[in-house]
Amino acid sequence: MIFAVTASLLGFLALSIPVGIVLFLLGIGVDQFFTPFPLLRGLGQVVWSSSNSSTLIAIPFFVLLGEILVRGGIAEKTYEALDKWFSWLPGGLIHANIGTATMFSATSGSSVATAATVATVAMPQAEKLGYDPKLFSGAIAAGGTLGIMIPPSINLIVYGFLTETSIPRLFLAGLVPGLVMAVAFMLVTVVLCKIKPSLGGQSRSFTWAERVGSLRHLIPILILFIAVIGSIYAGWATPTESAAIGVVIAMLIAAFNRGVSNDMIKLCLVGTVRITAMIMLVIIGAYFLNFTLTAAGMGRELKDLLTGLNFSPMGTLMVVVALYIVLGFFIETLSLMVATIPIIVPIMTGMGFDKVWFGILLIVLIEMALITPPVGLNLYVVQGARKSGRLSEVMLGTIPFVLVMMAMIVGLIFLPQLALFLPDYL
Amino acid sequence: MTNTLIAAIRRTNRIIALLVGLVLTGTVILIIAEIVLREVGISLGGAEEISGYVMAGVASWGMSYALTELAHVRIDLIRLRLQTRGRALLDLIAIVALAGVASLVAFQCWPVLEKTIERGSRANTALETPLWIPQTIWLSGWIWFAVSACVLVILSLVLMMRRDFDQADALVGARSEVELET
Repeated sequence: MIFAVTASLLGFLALSIPVGIVLFLLGIGVDQFFTPFPLLRGLGQVVWSSSNSSTLIAIPFFVLLGEILVRGGIAEKTYEALDKWFSWLPGGLIHANIGTATMFSATSGSSVATAATVATVAMPQAEKLGYDPKLFSGAIAAGGTLGIMIPPSINLIVYGFLTETSIPRLFLAGLVPGLVMAVAFMLVTVVLCKIKPSLGGQSRSFTWAERVGSLRHLIPILILFIAVIGSIYAGWATPTESAAIGVVIAMLIAAFNRGVSNDMIKLCLVGTVRITAMIMLVIIGAYFLNFTLTAAGMGRELKDLLTGLNFSPMGTLMVVVALYIVLGFFIETLSLMVATIPIIVPIMTGMGFDKVWFGILLIVLIEMALITPPVGLNLYVVQGARKSGRLSEVMLGTIPFVLVMMAMIVGLIFLPQLALFLPDYL
Repeated sequence: MTNTLIAAIRRTNRIIALLVGLVLTGTVILIIAEIVLREVGISLGGAEEISGYVMAGVASWGMSYALTELAHVRIDLIRLRLQTRGRALLDLIAIVALAGVASLVAFQCWPVLEKTIERGSRANTALETPLWIPQTIWLSGWIWFAVSACVLVILSLVLMMRRDFDQADALVGARSEVELET
């Protein structure tokens, strides 16, 4: 059954059938061929109970928050401000790329919109100032992935929802690894540009007055981040409520920047509905697939397979990590997460691994999947915004950052406190 | 005829999306109101339950908009390497599969509402919401999704038989995320 399901998954995806629909089709297939129960009759109930959720509504809220920031012109202002602060470093603007992507990741869920915006603002400058297009675009693609690690993160909400793990704990656990990776991305850029100065463009310098003046564009974002994350930990708000607070603050910031208009609000609303529906089709499809797989005993089959290998917990972990790296090449990331979590996570926790810790490890693996070809969403986002050059340049440019992610995986395995000390401490 | 129908479906779905967005905004306001009142000691209650229903409605009613905006993610690695006709064939397979699944989901969701009505079920909460209300909104969203998808199947067949592949691509083709954002 494992083979049949995986093969048809890849086959249907290759046919370019929408990902969410593929998951439904697989669920129907499992029901028809591998179980004696009339599971299809449960489909309606599965669809209702998986979407009637006050936890999941945080997803459209965070998407809306991101849409407001991007369409309200705040992303561009942030980029300009970060450029002033970081352009003296070797690699100049590349740091602004990473920084803007990180800050937006920290406040919204919409990493695609962020990557697209940063790429649109940054690319013309890159050509003008003579940056190497590979490293430059690779940094945007990689920076954009931090959004699913640094809270608030839609993917962590999905993980918490599926595994019944505390979302506030997950958010805290993602903070340090996310920031460490952002800093590591910048360090790698500095080192590369020191070794090969042609990678970075002409350096520019700004006066302190210009830098300080740009702070007014950075502080509102910081306030937003503190309000969203702080309200959760102060115990004032659930993740969903903090998302609602974030939407209101983002709207105030956009209004303050004179970025609000009727058209802008309309675009934000329909954009949010479009992205949410796209995400929900995948989540509901995966939910149904899992429902059928559980009934057909897939978890047991996979567990037998893994335990049959007779590996130690560490050996099994290695197998799982390798599995995600390989699957991450081919499968779209959200479906990869939603389809595998209910099967893999119970096995891992059964072997004594921490659920929160494994969630963070999984997110790094998913981040890697976002920028590894052939199916790496962020690569296409950045390439699409560049409108010139080849996709392979973006792929090459992400390699240094993929290596950082691999180091992060090793780090998390040997030093679980990296993720766990903050939630345990607070 | 086909063109007016396509334009009409697009316009309808855009209006629906806007309404759904407004409902979301309303939910944001409701939640904020509850937080503020809670801090001053008044318990409104119910925002959490209502936001769950809203989510079910947002998901089902948003589907058709995402469909006509070509936003449901497709992996188009192979599709991009094909010529016009090959692409059209894959697009047709994709929309037929989607219409089939959407119809099946809509069909299988009906018993959920049917049972609720038979039993007169209410939510096990302080609000005691009669569940048929949120479930009717939710189910009708899925039905509209199925109907839109079936209409798209017919329209794209018509366009492809006329060899109007450009129009067909605009109707049921695949778009990258960036093309969607702009």
